[in-house]
Amino acid sequence: MNIYELYFGASIILIVLGLYAIASKRNLVRIVLGLEIITLGVNLSIITMGVRVLGGSYKVDALAQGMVAISMAIGAAVAALALSMAINIYRHYGTFDIRKLRRLRW
Amino acid sequence: MNPFTPLFLLLGGSLASLLADQLLERVGAARWRGCLAACILAAALMLFTWEAYLGVSVAEFRLIGPESPLTASLKLDYLSLYISIIFCGLGLAACIYSIKYLELESETGVDRYYLLLLTLIAGLVGVTLADDFFTLYVFWELMALSSYSLVAFRKWSWEAVEAGFKYLVMSTMGSLAVLLGIAVLYGIAGSLRFDILAQSIPSGGPAALLALALIIVGFGVTAAAVPFHSWLPDAHPAAPTPISAILSGIVIKAGAYAMLWSLFKLFTPTVYGFGVVLIAFGILTMSFANIVVVMQGDIKRFLAYSSIANMGYIITGMGIAAYILRSYPSMVGAAALALTGALLHILNHALGKGLSFLCAGCYILRQGSREISELEGIGAEMPATTASFGIGLLNLAGVPPLSGFWSKFFIVSAGLGIPSDGLLLTTTLIFILNSVLAAGYYLWLLQRIAFKRRGEADPAAGEAPALMLAPVIALAAACILITITISPVLEFIRAVLGVLLG
Repeated sequence: MNIYELYFGASIILIVLGLYAIASKRNLVRIVLGLEIITLGVNLSIITMGVRVLGGSYKVDALAQGMVAISMAIGAAVAALALSMAINIYRHYGTFDIRKLRRLRW
Repeated sequence: MNPFTPLFLLLGGSLASLLADQLLERVGAARWRGCLAACILAAALMLFTWEAYLGVSVAEFRLIGPESPLTASLKLDYLSLYISIIFCGLGLAACIYSIKYLELESETGVDRYYLLLLTLIAGLVGVTLADDFFTLYVFWELMALSSYSLVAFRKWSWEAVEAGFKYLVMSTMGSLAVLLGIAVLYGIAGSLRFDILAQSIPSGGPAALLALALIIVGFGVTAAAVPFHSWLPDAHPAAPTPISAILSGIVIKAGAYAMLWSLFKLFTPTVYGFGVVLIAFGILTMSFANIVVVMQGDIKRFLAYSSIANMGYIITGMGIAAYILRSYPSMVGAAALALTGALLHILNHALGKGLSFLCAGCYILRQGSREISELEGIGAEMPATTASFGIGLLNLAGVPPLSGFWSKFFIVSAGLGIPSDGLLLTTTLIFILNSVLAAGYYLWLLQRIAFKRRGEADPAAGEAPALMLAPVIALAAACILITITISPVLEFIRAVLGVLLG
């Protein structure tokens, strides 16, 4: 098993975990955490794709590093917005439980 | 002049509007804050139109060195110009409409509204101008983040925050699917520039197929293709009306544009047979939405579902073109016809649906209800609004002299161009059935709003305020103008096709 398969496998596991969290958890905060885990998995896969073998050692392409830095910033913005919406939902319903607020058909 | 000035103007303008807000607040002219945003949008629209009038040669802008794979690059061609003009035009109409609307609805947090509106339009324009996948992703997220905030803008209402949260979760998952697809493409090509990607994708093997699937699904969420559509009917009614018009008119078009661009330019349809997939998505989308739309009692939900159906038409048009290009490589003319229909329908639906949402907003403001049963007959008391509403709905229904007819006609005639092909024939028949059904329910809605008799005359009812009526009438005039000047528009679309088909 080479380094690409190892890291790409890890990123797929993270993505599946995140999807599981979004699909099965009933708590808004946990759904936001699920989104964040998917973001981590995708970022890890970008880094994996940027790994190059140079002079016998592994180096990560600068493009991949730049992309992941920007993508982490975007992920943080999304998480902040999602949590602020979760706070507003909490103010309306007094709960984070998604089953209590399904007035919209999900 | 730098051809990207409008984009920088929009980005800079959104920052400037933050500062200008404080100033306007201090001098007590807070109600004029929308005018600044409207001026910036109008300037961007005029600059883009001017460029279209002069005729662009392809212009490029690179942030880091011309030959490095590490560039952040922008590129202006006819396709991005065409889409950008639509985005800025509808954005301007919605912005002018917002000025009076927000005042009448006594919304809170208006100081953030125009900032978000400008970043939304800047993100949309940036998506069309991006020339490498990562730039596209950054602008995509700029657009998505501002539209999540705008959907949840009425944070005092349970409906808006719930719809906003749902939209955020679904759309972020779509964006992440796209980002994973981008990662795979980066693994194949070692670069994200579109020109380098277009060369290396055809030899990409199964990894490229994975990326293709991820990209179709990811952009499909924003384009509201049917298994991924469920954010849309909640988000549109919950948002303030001008934002519904923008979401329905142009944000979902950004999904269609990104699909069109990445599929036709990067994954050339002659190499990958994604035409069938697009046709399947398109048929599912339009048939499902057209059936569900009839059951809606809420006028904004009604219009939202009909937006999904119209996205179905556009996706089907794209699918027919891709299918013809792959199966009948000699019939480029028929494929071009289907793409012309899809591109023209992007314009028609943006105008028509933007117009109907803005008119519906006027009715809702007067009546204080979104139920169609309570809005019945209100049209008779607001003749100018109703006339515009009628033009918008007839354009969407595809009644012959209006340009909405031509876009559907082009897609249908491309589908019937190869009568021996069973798949194309079935698709076209389903398309025609859907169009007829859609025309039926648009006319039914118009009849209920405009011609139904009201029991008692409402003393409070009357024409909408002038500042809200102006963009409505301008959009209606634009519908008619495009119908009259259809041949220069088609000429322009032919130039756009040159970009897509080479």
